[in-house]
Amino acid sequence: MLGDDACVAALDVAGDALAPAARVAVYRHHVLTSLTAALEAMFPVVVRLVDVRFFRYAADRYVRAHPPGRPCLFEYGASFPEFLAAFPPCRHLVYLADVARLEWAMNVALHAADAAPLTAEALRALAPGAVGDLALDLHPSVTLLRSPWPVDRIWRANQPGAEDAVVALDAGGACVQVWRRDDDVVVRMLTPAALALRTALAGGRRLAVAAAAALTAEPDVDLPALLREAVDEGCLTA
Amino acid sequence: MQTTAVAGSGIGLRAPHVDEIVATRPAVDWLEVHAENYMMAGGPALRALERLRHDYPLSIHGVGLSLGSADGLDVAHLERLARLVDRLEPALVSEHLSWSIVDGAYLNHLLPLPYTDETLAIVSAHVARVQDRLGRRLLVENPSGYLRFAGAEMPEAEFLATLARRTGCGLLCDVNNIHVTCANLGGDPDAYLAALPPAAVGEIHLAGHAVNDADGHEILIDDHGSPVAPAVWSLYERALERFGPAPA
Repeated sequence: MLGDDACVAALDVAGDALAPAARVAVYRHHVLTSLTAALEAMFPVVVRLVDVRFFRYAADRYVRAHPPGRPCLFEYGASFPEFLAAFPPCRHLVYLADVARLEWAMNVALHAADAAPLTAEALRALAPGAVGDLALDLHPSVTLLRSPWPVDRIWRANQPGAEDAVVALDAGGACVQVWRRDDDVVVRMLTPAALALRTALAGGRRLAVAAAAALTAEPDVDLPALLREAVDEGCLTA
Repeated sequence: MQTTAVAGSGIGLRAPHVDEIVATRPAVDWLEVHAENYMMAGGPALRALERLRHDYPLSIHGVGLSLGSADGLDVAHLERLARLVDRLEPALVSEHLSWSIVDGAYLNHLLPLPYTDETLAIVSAHVARVQDRLGRRLLVENPSGYLRFAGAEMPEAEFLATLARRTGCGLLCDVNNIHVTCANLGGDPDAYLAALPPAAVGEIHLAGHAVNDADGHEILIDDHGSPVAPAVWSLYERALERFGPAPA
């Protein structure tokens, strides 16, 4: 199904007015077009950046080399960003794989497990004294991304209805958090301290250790404000 | 084994229409969804469906179980289906007479099987295992066909009838697929209907197809997007006469 026409001859397909190869082609066409269409829906900004014709060409190569391992298409495409990074015809688009990672993170956020976010009241009740020993976790929908390219601006400039904007590639890197807040997927820039705090919490570090990581990233950061911001965003769980 | 508790006319529910159904609660008798679109861990789509199931009976229609895979059933996928069925408690659960997984790759299509005794043994064992795990009757749907294997030993309808007799499974009779398969491979839709045991038919599907050109020959493609063709409507009426008022 994913190979070339030579494979068809090996099949024991009955021919008549229509040759076996043409009959098999009906199935092959659907396999390849439906899977590339699934990727097209998953990575709309990448489609816009490279043009749909090139996208379909790249996706066709990806589908043949990395067909889905499971029947749920909302799980298909996790390795597409890495594939794009190494795909010679678009390797010069250095930011493309990170934009694809951002879009994949949105898909992950949409389908992640539900979990009640930690509220400010619950945080106070949890830790009257030993705040530093708290082991908080990130909401299951959260992905943290760091890119040397301004991927958040590239992503925003390519949303439906966005004004045509020129994004300077040397505008600086981006720390981005993608997660689900209520029922909406949100993409937000993080400061280096916020990224350090959340990365440490995601790695299972105690709050005191995570706070130290934030201070290393930004020595004069307001730690209580940093924690309050994370709670307000609904991206922490206890 | 659970018995059918739905009747009347349902609709296949696709993701873009969920909000509309939630908001307007139209007068349809039941809703059918693809199992694989709701196997996520959580999120708004699953929650919306959990709300809808309180107001409508559900039919869970699987496309990924690959009942015809010669290298065994995907047990992990069957477990995911079982969890979804536990969670949503649908009135009907169905799958297709086809294969879609080979060497661990999922091909996202209902691929054709050679209708032989050997295939029948494989599919029967898989259907039995699915019914055991789910603790209920599975309906098996006839696919749309674009090729026939030279080594086929029996017609598709006879294969399905025997499968139902051996496993106790039900049949989901897709009249559009019967029309498409008979047009593409040569066959009489009425003879097809006549070969299906009426007691086994637990649901009927009605859909549209497109007429395409393949190397200068007309070929019908089941596309779920075209309107229902007049010939399919009339085949549907004859199916109702034969099978009685199955949910459609």
